[in-house]
Amino acid sequence: MSASRSNMWKSARAEALRALTALAMALAVAFIIVLITSKSPVETFGTLLSGPMTSKRTIGLWIDDVAKLTMTGLAFSLVFQARQFSMGVQGQVYMGGLFSALVALSPIGTTAVGMPAAVLAGMAAGAFYGFIPGYAKARLGANEIVSSLMLNYIAVNLVTYLVREPLVAAPGLLSTPNFPPNTIFPALIERTRIDLGLVLALLSVAAVWFALYRTSWGLKLRLVGHNARFAEYAGIKANFIMVSAMTASGALGGLLGAMFVQGQSYGKLLVQFEGNLAFEGILIAIVAKNRPLAVPIVALFYGYLRQGALIMGIRTDVPTEVISVVQAIIILLVASSFKFGSGKLLARLRPAKPVTTTGAGA
Amino acid sequence: MTVLLEARGIAKTYPGGTVANNGVDLTVRAGEVHAVVGENGAGKSTLMKILFGIEQPDGGELLLDGKPVHFAGAKAAINAGIGMVFQHFSLVPSFSVYENVVMGSEPRAGLRFDRSRAIAEVRALSEKFRLPVDPLPPVASIPVGQQQRVEILKALYRDARILILDEPTAVLAPQEVEELFVAVRSLVAQGRTVIFIAHKLPEVLEISDSITVMRAGRTVAQVKARDVTEQSLANLMVGREVTLKVDRAATDKSTVRLEVAGLSVDHENGTAACADIDLRLRAGEIVGLVGVEGNGQQEFMETIAGHRAATRGSAMLDGVDLLDLPVLKRRRAGLANIPQDRIAEGLAVGATLAENMAATRLSDGGFVRHGLLDRKAMKANAASLIEKFAIRAAGPDAAAGTLSGGNMQKVVVARELSEAPKVLLVSQPTRGVDLGATQFIWKTITEARDNGAAVLLSSADLSELMALSDRFLVFYHGEIVAALENDESVTPEALGAYMLGLERQTPEQIRAVSL
Repeated sequence: MSASRSNMWKSARAEALRALTALAMALAVAFIIVLITSKSPVETFGTLLSGPMTSKRTIGLWIDDVAKLTMTGLAFSLVFQARQFSMGVQGQVYMGGLFSALVALSPIGTTAVGMPAAVLAGMAAGAFYGFIPGYAKARLGANEIVSSLMLNYIAVNLVTYLVREPLVAAPGLLSTPNFPPNTIFPALIERTRIDLGLVLALLSVAAVWFALYRTSWGLKLRLVGHNARFAEYAGIKANFIMVSAMTASGALGGLLGAMFVQGQSYGKLLVQFEGNLAFEGILIAIVAKNRPLAVPIVALFYGYLRQGALIMGIRTDVPTEVISVVQAIIILLVASSFKFGSGKLLARLRPAKPVTTTGAGA
Repeated sequence: MTVLLEARGIAKTYPGGTVANNGVDLTVRAGEVHAVVGENGAGKSTLMKILFGIEQPDGGELLLDGKPVHFAGAKAAINAGIGMVFQHFSLVPSFSVYENVVMGSEPRAGLRFDRSRAIAEVRALSEKFRLPVDPLPPVASIPVGQQQRVEILKALYRDARILILDEPTAVLAPQEVEELFVAVRSLVAQGRTVIFIAHKLPEVLEISDSITVMRAGRTVAQVKARDVTEQSLANLMVGREVTLKVDRAATDKSTVRLEVAGLSVDHENGTAACADIDLRLRAGEIVGLVGVEGNGQQEFMETIAGHRAATRGSAMLDGVDLLDLPVLKRRRAGLANIPQDRIAEGLAVGATLAENMAATRLSDGGFVRHGLLDRKAMKANAASLIEKFAIRAAGPDAAAGTLSGGNMQKVVVARELSEAPKVLLVSQPTRGVDLGATQFIWKTITEARDNGAAVLLSSADLSELMALSDRFLVFYHGEIVAALENDESVTPEALGAYMLGLERQTPEQIRAVSL
């Protein structure tokens, strides 16, 4: 058993090394691009690398992003482990945010249970929104990729409509009134965006890890993900596992929605409040190989680069479009050095390296 | 005879570090049948892929007619006159026989596909080489043996001088094997050369002139067929003495464990897979389901196991109709199942051995308490099974996919036997498993029988069925056409006649043995 543990460390080290190599290559490419597009390339590149550390405020922005990226990464990891390609986290975030807002703005919002009630409402809405494509797949054979993507559009546009019409603070604005203060997550560090959401994200990491690796539900889920036919053969109800995985992942998405609207960042419901962050969870899940404990670490690095790129876009002469290119290259290089699912394809792309050479020769 | 094709010191390491070939020598003379034998994983298939240009060797050289050659792909090999028939055919089922043969190099009349010339050419080829097959029907409608002829014709149509046959007899009934051998002899008589990959030794000795024996990625011997015996060849393959027999104890066969009555099963497309199957299975016996693949025996097994719905009938295990129960409850009732495809159905290759070995028991108290996994119990269970079944693995935490085929199969067998099942379903227990593991698995299944399990065994390997079974039930077109006790009088040829539907017993004869 100690042998397998040391193997685990060895492979973890190898993976970390691969990721760092990819990161270095990506930064080199990014530097070349900056060299071409910027008049003062060294300073600009410096901004990319050090931007998030320049002030307490930017550190706060970075850590707040890490918490949110962790949540979406977890939500995707959970469904990917069951080999369900539900893309519905974005929709769950909007539905979660909406129901949190409805509770926060209702009379309950001003009571002592306002904050937890709003969070739970968000989670329940997200869970239900994750349940729909799962149920549709189990019952009707509907492809979960298509149905979850369509549900995303519905959620985004439903929130836009509700915020602009019935819930709007004043005609012409794009947000609801501010929530009552007692529903808003307290800041962990004054005058930053680092708030209770970070704690919830870390608790979620622990909860997802525990559910996947320490409960029979989690083992069944992983077995369904490894080989659904084997799971059926072993007497596991694959459909139930599939639907419950998508529902649980939906609850995580809903919680992320609550973290957005109840966090220090907003404290109200806005149009397009999620800013396309939800989908970045796919990348985080892939690089973390769907393992919950790796998700926050990946989110930490990825969030840093994301924030650095944003700050570079604001403070330097490099246009934001170039930033997206740099981000995409980083993702491409990091993700392509990792296996997704069985990884046979990627294994084939890797150069041949004999582990054992029997006998003489060479 | 002159040397036609020669491989010297071929080495091939796959990405991921698997050393498939490491010092393979092969010398094939013109106009001979050259067999390449070896256990699974000995590197035969890799060598053939290199000869056919699908894989590139890392070292060594290939010589054709004494000149060094390099095949960048299958096309180059075909142009050099090498043809290959894979174990899994590459035919278009909905196309006719002649279309499959000429596809890719069709005879043309102007821009038009000259169908009548194609048909005539295919007819002429099939007569010349004694490979009788009607060019007109779609490939899907002809039996497997004839599909194989279509594959051979495909290679001959492209003027193959050297024909590589990859385990050609694996899918054939004994009579069909004879017909294949007639064709192979006629090919050789007309100057072609055949490389024959196989692991059934009697066939190898019957058909081949020279034999190259491979073990662990190397050539260990090249011998003349007339100089060796089955036993000496087996010893060469494995590298030590092997026994090809299993001893069976006398058992009490008075208790009926499984009673199947009137069981009918349909294919997904609504046609009948098997119809009105009646049989009784008793404690302490192995009943072998004999039949060419695709005659309903697999569907029958899957229905009993719970992976397919019956249209009619019942299957009573100790008074409970299994057909009413979901898989988990069937397992609780005392059913265990070794499925035909360990990777597709029998294991989760990405999960650990401990997880794989507990997978069928996640809803009882053994490994799960209050919804939480008892990881200690899972590991202890895996560790004890690894030891008991001599599974070569790093430990309970090793991923199942890191094991060899034989050891993976042992994991499945170990898990299924660990609960002392009353009824054990076994499909293709040793397909793709090396001789050492085969011996072990045979012994294990026989021990389960000796200890009172009732075993239904389905296998494409007739020698396996004959070594293990107490009784045979022969399936043909979804029916039981013969039922025989396994004694000295039963020969492969006799079973083959039933398997091909050439003969059938009367219902009374069948019922006398099947019930």
